[in-house]
Amino acid sequence: MTDSARSTTDAAPAPGAGDFAARSQRISKVYGSGDARVIALDGVTVGIPRGRFTAVMGPSGSGKSTLMHCMAGLDSVTDGEVFIGDTNLTRLKDKALTRLRRDKIGFIFQAFNLVPTLTALENITLPMDIAGRRPDPEWLDRVVDTVGLRPRLKHRPSELSGGQQQRVACARALASRPEIIFADEPTGNLDSRSGAEVLEFLRSSVREMGQTIVMVTHDPSAAAYADQVLFLTDGQIVDTMAQPTAERVLERMKGFELPGVSAR
Amino acid sequence: MSAVPMARVTLRNLAAHKIRLVLTAVAVILGVAFVAGTLVFTDTMNKRFDDLFNRIGTNVAVDVRSVKVVDSGNDGEARPPVPQAVLAKLRTVDGVKDPVGTVDGYAALVGRNGKVVGSAQNGPPQLGTNWTGDGIARLATGRAPQAAGEVVIDKASAKKAGYNLGDAVTVLVKSGPQHATLVGTADIGDMMGATLVAFDTTTAQKLLLKPGYYSEIRMGSTGADEATLRDRVAKVLPSGTEAVTGAKLRDENKSQVASFMSFFRTFLLVFALISIFVGAFIIFNTFSMLVAQRTRELALLRAIGAARSQVTRAVIGEAVAVGFVGSTLGLLAGVGLAELLQSTTGSGGSLTFTVTPVIWSYTVGIVVTVVSAYFPARRAAKVPPVAAMRDDVALPQRSMRIRLALGSLLTLAGAALMGLGLFGHVSNPAVPVGAGAFAVFLGVALLAPVISKPAVRVLGWPFARLLRTPGRLARQNALRNPRRTAATASALMIGLALITAVNVLGSSMRSSVESQVDKQFGADYVIEPNGAGGLSPELVAKVKKTDGVTAAGAVYSGSAKVSGKRVSYSAGDTAELLSGTRAKFVSGSQTLPRDGMFVDEDTAKHNSWTVGSSVPLLFPDGKTETLKIAGIYAKNQFLGGRVINEGAYLAHTADPSVEVIIVNAKKAGAETKHALEQTLSARPDVKVQDQATLKADARKQIDGFVSFLTILLVMSVIIAAVGVINTLALSVIERTREIGLLRAIGISRRQLRRMIRAESVVIAVFGAVLGIGIGVAFGAALQHALRKQGLNVLSVPVGTLITYLVVAAVIGVLAALWPAWRAGRMDVLKAISTE
Repeated sequence: MTDSARSTTDAAPAPGAGDFAARSQRISKVYGSGDARVIALDGVTVGIPRGRFTAVMGPSGSGKSTLMHCMAGLDSVTDGEVFIGDTNLTRLKDKALTRLRRDKIGFIFQAFNLVPTLTALENITLPMDIAGRRPDPEWLDRVVDTVGLRPRLKHRPSELSGGQQQRVACARALASRPEIIFADEPTGNLDSRSGAEVLEFLRSSVREMGQTIVMVTHDPSAAAYADQVLFLTDGQIVDTMAQPTAERVLERMKGFELPGVSAR
Repeated sequence: MSAVPMARVTLRNLAAHKIRLVLTAVAVILGVAFVAGTLVFTDTMNKRFDDLFNRIGTNVAVDVRSVKVVDSGNDGEARPPVPQAVLAKLRTVDGVKDPVGTVDGYAALVGRNGKVVGSAQNGPPQLGTNWTGDGIARLATGRAPQAAGEVVIDKASAKKAGYNLGDAVTVLVKSGPQHATLVGTADIGDMMGATLVAFDTTTAQKLLLKPGYYSEIRMGSTGADEATLRDRVAKVLPSGTEAVTGAKLRDENKSQVASFMSFFRTFLLVFALISIFVGAFIIFNTFSMLVAQRTRELALLRAIGAARSQVTRAVIGEAVAVGFVGSTLGLLAGVGLAELLQSTTGSGGSLTFTVTPVIWSYTVGIVVTVVSAYFPARRAAKVPPVAAMRDDVALPQRSMRIRLALGSLLTLAGAALMGLGLFGHVSNPAVPVGAGAFAVFLGVALLAPVISKPAVRVLGWPFARLLRTPGRLARQNALRNPRRTAATASALMIGLALITAVNVLGSSMRSSVESQVDKQFGADYVIEPNGAGGLSPELVAKVKKTDGVTAAGAVYSGSAKVSGKRVSYSAGDTAELLSGTRAKFVSGSQTLPRDGMFVDEDTAKHNSWTVGSSVPLLFPDGKTETLKIAGIYAKNQFLGGRVINEGAYLAHTADPSVEVIIVNAKKAGAETKHALEQTLSARPDVKVQDQATLKADARKQIDGFVSFLTILLVMSVIIAAVGVINTLALSVIERTREIGLLRAIGISRRQLRRMIRAESVVIAVFGAVLGIGIGVAFGAALQHALRKQGLNVLSVPVGTLITYLVVAAVIGVLAALWPAWRAGRMDVLKAISTE
């Protein structure tokens, strides 16, 4: 166990602790009832350290996506509390939640990241445009240069490769300088080279720009780019690993595998 | 694969997309309801008229009447009367049973409230007759009228007027009000709103016709068949009279109504057809979108072995099902519509059902749906099987160039056809004009995707400015699939184009009439009957004696035959007539001798007549008189084409009737008008008109006509609005992921709703702009074609057209309500999760 994340058995971080960009307090998520009852999250308490790159790993059905959705305010929890910074998400109504997502959170999804009718640049500034805020031009320049998309800013998503599209999505997530970025299998649809580019970029944005990123993945080599890895099984955090490498992660994952469940 | 699994696919699809099915079916339902409603309603009306005329002539074996020398074709005029002496002769003919002379004319009933019972203009007739004791009227209460001062009224009218037996009643006839005692009421069955006042025969002759004359003489038979009796009767008739069988009389009555009803039915069906045409756009668009959304599923079917034709059939199968359901519901809605129409026409009674509406409802509903779905179905079959394995599939899009060429060609050909109908000399101009308009609509609809790009950019600009990002996204969404936007807008375009054309025409009519009144109405007042009754010469004398009146002249109008063709003319006090209409003479003199005639320039030119030409006129009394052209005047709307001497008119007319009285006053003003109204106080069926009221009357009539047509066209706009709902709802489904993404990165529900609303408004306004543009062009072309018929001023009602643009925007907002609500409610997680 490291200082940055604790399993459910450990004491929860005190509320208002400044070194966490997001944290959850004994959150549960239950779908259905009676025989169809599925426990996706089972009292997870976790803190996402500020300025770090955290990967969440687990086999299919482990609840890693649900954890991300609940922490990002996309889904409600059955029990427990979620904080982004000092804000308790579980008490927010849809309107405030939407505003919080817009202003404090960046998203990178596996696919369908971009609005097809907008150019790359328009997609990047979309969250700020929705909020009616002007992007900081210097910061925007830096983001655009970092993702290396300057010659393609006027292009529509359909005119970009899959890797380029994901880089636009990364730039969009970074451009508004959110408190935290949630990435859901950002390389899932990419070939390994493009995937590596995107991961490299995410890591550098953490190291050079101080961004906080949480990435859900089932790919050990993707997880290896993170500063630390949280392992999730059956809705519970079962382990964490600092300074991961692909081999160590893979080794660790094998230990969780239940008969018949593949980590791919 | 056999047909069975494909049918299963079809049925499962229908079940899985109930809302889409309903929305598509709505377009079919509304169109079919219009058709079915029209057919059921007109069938019912036909049946009622048939019943009425069967009752009227039941006991008549032979009818004697005067020969109609000047036959107008539409039977606008009464025949000259038959002398009473003929009746005595008929009594001597073997086989004739109870010959009865009937007298018919105008007699309006004044109710207790001092108002005339029944509608004044163009309403059901206000009939006066002599009580004959047979025919369709049976006494319900009291007794028959036996002397002057006694009347019998039909039961329904007596009730409406508030009269009981023994009451003093007022009846208006041509010569003025008559006071009489109500001695009986008559039961005459369904008269469809007409009123009946019966006098004793002598009084009826005096008040309604001419003493010593009958309108016609009817008789039964003691045994001989109708034709035999007719031939026997014919032998004793004086020249100028004829005998017809009862069967012929009944047929004539029926065929007059039948031809009117068939016109009425065709008229309504044209509007039903327009609604269906608009519905076809909606069905086409919906099926195109369904196919586009199901590309992968269709590809899967192809990949596992379905033939192209099977895929096409599966889609067509859906269309048949939608058409069937839509037709069934449409038929039911149509019956409801007919019931509603029936009850608004005032008289109850049950509807008449024939098999025709059922056949037509199903034929129209299914054929239109299948034809509209055919092209999308063909496209569905072209989906390559490999599309099942690909991630982002798009149907192959055909190039816009073919569209551009075909659209331009159709538009031009349509415009040319319309031009031919309007300005060429075609026997039935409605056909080329209608077909041309149809082609123009199709052509513009084909061009619309090309036009939509710049148009949507401009129309979306205010939204992009006002709503910022949601507005910009809305504009981009409307631009995204130009074909879809264009088809949706085109549906709205058709209805609005026709409504605009009607409004431009109405507005031009108003302006034309107003300019004619200003330029050609020279009198201070005219007095004219409010309903069907004419005025008597005695009234002219009374008007002359009114305080402040300096001159009053009667104007008659009549008809005659000139070289075999029926023409109409005015007659009357020449000086008053010419000054009252501000006639401008181009040649000849302004005095009209007894054997003279004035004609207007067009008539003179058309017949190559000049001043001094002799023209033989055959008058309704069968006599021919040759008149000399005395003068030629510039075209005048009030004067008409010909003017003859009052003496000539009176000499040839048995029962002269004053059309209007032209009045000039010392000082035209409220005082004189009031005095005139005082003079006419006993005649609620007569009104005094000055320039202002003439204009107001014309305006009211034109506005009525415009509103009537607009209401008939509103159905197509409603169908188009359903189309907008359909497009948006399907677009929202199609863009589920995108909407989820937008919600995830922070667009609020309100912003999302605004975005969808703005897209809807842009599409609707685009359709309205196209429609109004085409409508103004159509209206202007119609006005130009009719300029010789008096429609000489083109007027575009800008205010009204702006209102329609606003209405279109409101339609856009309303159409977006449900799709926007649905989009806002969408589960963000479901929307973004991959598969």
